[in-house]
Amino acid sequence: MLERGLEEKTYVLNLGPQHPSTHGVLRVELEMEGEFITKADPDIGYGHRGHEHMAENRTYPQFLPNMGRVDYLHALAYNQGYCMAVEKLIGLTVPERGEYIRVITAELNRITSHLLWVGAYLLDLGAFTPILYSFDDRENALDLLDYLTGSRLTYCFYRFGGVPVDIDDDFTEGCRKFIQRLRHRFADYDDLVTKNVIFIHRTRDVGFITQEQCIKYGLTGPMLRGSGIPFDIRKSEPYSVYPQFDFEIPIGEQGDVLDRYLVRVREMEQSLRIIEQALDQIPQGPIMAEKVPKRIKPAAGEVYTAVESARGEFGCFVVSAGDPKPYRIKLRVPSFGNLSILPEIAVDTLVADLVAILGSIDVVVPEIDR
Amino acid sequence: MVQGGFHLEKKTGAPLIHIGLVEEALNLARANSLWPMTFGLACCAIEMMATGMARFDLDRFGAGVFRPSPRQCDLMIIAGTISKKMAPAVVRLWEQMPAPKWSIAMGNCAISGGPFYYPDQYAIVPGADLIIPVDVYVPGCPPRPEGLLEGILVLEELITQRGRLRKFRDA
Amino acid sequence: MLKDNIQKALAPLNLEQVAAGEYDKTGYHLEVTAAPEQMPEVAKAMLSLGCFLESLTGLHYPEHFTLVYHFNNFRELCRTAVHVQVPLDQEAPTISHIYPGANWYEREAYDLYGIRFAGHPDLRRILLPFDADFHPLLKKFEEKPADA
Repeated sequence: MLERGLEEKTYVLNLGPQHPSTHGVLRVELEMEGEFITKADPDIGYGHRGHEHMAENRTYPQFLPNMGRVDYLHALAYNQGYCMAVEKLIGLTVPERGEYIRVITAELNRITSHLLWVGAYLLDLGAFTPILYSFDDRENALDLLDYLTGSRLTYCFYRFGGVPVDIDDDFTEGCRKFIQRLRHRFADYDDLVTKNVIFIHRTRDVGFITQEQCIKYGLTGPMLRGSGIPFDIRKSEPYSVYPQFDFEIPIGEQGDVLDRYLVRVREMEQSLRIIEQALDQIPQGPIMAEKVPKRIKPAAGEVYTAVESARGEFGCFVVSAGDPKPYRIKLRVPSFGNLSILPEIAVDTLVADLVAILGSIDVVVPEIDR
Repeated sequence: MVQGGFHLEKKTGAPLIHIGLVEEALNLARANSLWPMTFGLACCAIEMMATGMARFDLDRFGAGVFRPSPRQCDLMIIAGTISKKMAPAVVRLWEQMPAPKWSIAMGNCAISGGPFYYPDQYAIVPGADLIIPVDVYVPGCPPRPEGLLEGILVLEELITQRGRLRKFRDA
Repeated sequence: MLKDNIQKALAPLNLEQVAAGEYDKTGYHLEVTAAPEQMPEVAKAMLSLGCFLESLTGLHYPEHFTLVYHFNNFRELCRTAVHVQVPLDQEAPTISHIYPGANWYEREAYDLYGIRFAGHPDLRRILLPFDADFHPLLKKFEEKPADA
């Protein structure tokens, strides 16, 4: 019959696990009909390093450096989540100056993470210039954090009970200069990217996520705020000294890719506001709790702490059985839930749109694979 | 193991015709225009990207053209931990690269498993040199971009068999 | 108050325990214990109140597995922890038809512990290579007293 010769068949195309190394090692199996995708199935596990198994074989302080490697782009939020969980278990309170230093460094780290995302996302879409600008700004922030903590990327800066190193006037002055500089640069980013016609065409009306999908898939972070739900753990379940700062939560309207981009860019501005207020309000005092036990041996029990990282809600669930080693540590990472929505929103899109959607999810694969 | 250039004759014996000047020129050309493959696996990938950006600028050494396809590159920078699921892919990519090719193991994970190696571990391959030949090891967790630059310059020395400004450096 | 609404919605299900949690010590507002067969009903109740599945954890004890489901809500904070005890060779029911996000969490629990979920559309390994033949997080119990 004539129709047989014209029958279209779907074919399977592999995206990854080696593709331009912005996201990490992710493999997406695409079943395609021509240029349109009929099925997208992410295959994770290429970065599985066994963090949770290590947690059961390490004491509580020995596991702390792992937290910087789970999500290396916002390592300080993960440090904070884990330290908060253990401090709750053993009943330590962090002094106020220590909390302020934690907030300042975590917000600086959030800015570096978002800057890298902006640059890498535009590199995926084909623009080579913004990544050079954003990495340049990022280097300024990294110099500040390097001055204080000693690392550029995989920080292990917080301790149970506070922070080990105090900030001095050089650091404060450097922060203020950085804030001023970055504020001027936002205008550059606006001109170069946000008002760019090609960028808007590629991201407007692509990758819609409804509010019911957000609830069913458990999305958090800018994915959720881009769809209009104002849920940010810093405001909904405040921890540390966040209640003392005045900042907004940017939300989008439609839930498409452009909204998520705008949410992240505006979050950077809010982070700058938080750092400014923190530098103004920081009190004098100790930076570590007074009586930190030499051997961390919490009583039996479980605790769940949630922290807002650049990608969403990081939850640290620690189960202790009274030993110096944890019984179980579960790291609830935001990218795990965020990526699980990809099979649903990638149907009937073009491959070029899939790249835009995948980038807007802001995945860090080693955190999914733990 | 370096393929091509002077080292090749150590393995296969001296060639019949030895056109020294051409080989020297070829090695100089190869060393100064290494094309790395974008092969970041984990955290070190970010420092590799930072090395290619404006501040540390890998491009001034000729190595700034990161190619995604293995057929077009001659340098594989293994940046990050190799998990057991990823190891076959690493070997396949290495074999897809045409000779002469070199590799740099960047970061502690690629050298020996890094912080993820412990006696009971089940998830990673402790070191890239267990599955592919490695020429230069760059330690650090993650190494600073200056460290990776030094690694690339050491590789260039290996390829050309001449030191760079040695009399000034060792003074 | 969302906490009361959740307690009201869970009351007709005859669960083993629905109690207020100590937020300062554990981070939970509600602690619930349920039997495995009741889990899909619990999930339906939580979804009808607009809660999302925050996390699904497996725990390995000498006599049983414990699955801990954490639910939370976007509009009003109320973290509910549901503990479900599953005997060692039994299957737990899936909730992935109610919460599609649970699909990957259940695959992860299967991958790390070997807990099977009845009714799961696609139960295969997610983190380890597909041909791995062990479940990494299973503990080796010698003569230790059981802690539940």
